[in-house]
Amino acid sequence: MTIRVGRNGTNPEGASQRGEVRWGTVRMSRAGLFARSAAVLGALGGSAVGAAEFAAAAGSQRTPARDREIFGLALLIARLEAAFYAHALAGGRLTGETHQFASVVGAQEKAHVKYLTTALGSAAGKSPGFRFGDAATDPTKFLATAVSLESTALAVYNGQAVNLTPQALAAAARVVSVEARHAAWARALAGQVPAPVAVDVPITVSQAESVFRPFLA
Amino acid sequence: MPRDASRSLRLDDFDLDGALRETHERQCRETRSGFLRRAAGAGVGVVGVLAVRPASAVAQASSGDVAILNFALALEYLQASFYTQAERIGALHGALAEQAHVVGAHERAHVRAFKAVLGSAAIKEPKFDFRGVTDNPNAFRSTAVAFEDLATAAYKEQAPRIQSRSYLAAALAIHSVEARHAAWIRRLAGFLPAAHAFDDPLSDSKVVEIVNSTHFVTLKTPDTSATSSPRFTG
Repeated sequence: MTIRVGRNGTNPEGASQRGEVRWGTVRMSRAGLFARSAAVLGALGGSAVGAAEFAAAAGSQRTPARDREIFGLALLIARLEAAFYAHALAGGRLTGETHQFASVVGAQEKAHVKYLTTALGSAAGKSPGFRFGDAATDPTKFLATAVSLESTALAVYNGQAVNLTPQALAAAARVVSVEARHAAWARALAGQVPAPVAVDVPITVSQAESVFRPFLA
Repeated sequence: MPRDASRSLRLDDFDLDGALRETHERQCRETRSGFLRRAAGAGVGVVGVLAVRPASAVAQASSGDVAILNFALALEYLQASFYTQAERIGALHGALAEQAHVVGAHERAHVRAFKAVLGSAAIKEPKFDFRGVTDNPNAFRSTAVAFEDLATAAYKEQAPRIQSRSYLAAALAIHSVEARHAAWIRRLAGFLPAAHAFDDPLSDSKVVEIVNSTHFVTLKTPDTSATSSPRFTG
């Protein structure tokens, strides 16, 4: 595994140097649609979230408004994760270190929700409902789902963090590495290598959405 | 099962760790203190090199970015050397050996990447003496926990200061891998992989102080600044 960063700061896949930033699968998200609310999400067909929303934004600005959109996305993900662990623990079928994992990580996701809610103020909005079924309560499915949720959260955070103002990035980075720890822990419990690659490849918001959307009630 | 969070090793515990403590009182601070300090950009070393010999690879990067990338490279040199030596000595077995093998490959990849990006502006690799911690599984484990938590905190501090979005994306993608490494080795050491809801950053000066306190760096990087012209005698 080599790091896919080319010389002169461009990516090796030939992105233009005219201010467009692409790195791996990262593109600048102009709208951050997933961040707005689950209600907006629900109105979008999966295929509708596509090129228009994720067009490369040459010269795109890092602004407080954009910070709020990205924090909104982070809040939605943290709410989903917190609900997932609460549901899993309520199911009563987790034991041993898996139970410990759900308990510790669930509490940390709640702390993230609280932090992001405070940071967003009135823009935080209400939490949507979630449904997990046995993806949360069946011990084997729980671990697979936890790996998926934590890895996806991390990858989309890494993708969006480059769009944050430095001050917001400093705050977000304190959460991002904790998500990485969660992902590694979940993978270890699932019998996988905790750190499978030398660099965590970011994903787009639409890629993350495809993972999270099935859990929105 | 990992122990309670209250028992977890935190960054502040680094220089109190038993594996490192006995080396703490050693002398010779001056001979090795230059390595990371220069890398951190606190001195004129890195900036001086860039000014005198603008590297083609980073000719358009800000001097701040170059300093940060070199600081990251310094930490990656330290970690890569640590795991490589541990693996070569062969005192690790089982899960710990697997961790050293996989993580060592990652750290070496990070070194290669930063060197490629920095080109001739890259700092040279210093000499390391790990003072026995790489041939003792328990000392290895404690040191690895400290290194990985340290690297995570160091990247976290530097990331918001990076000007170039490409470099920032790369730094973030490595930052989270260091956090994965930390979680992995913490679990193997019996600590909670994620002991806190929020990870704190650590300033470059504090990182330098901690690394210097280990005395693992035995020879500072050669002075490549062209301002230090050769001296001729006679």
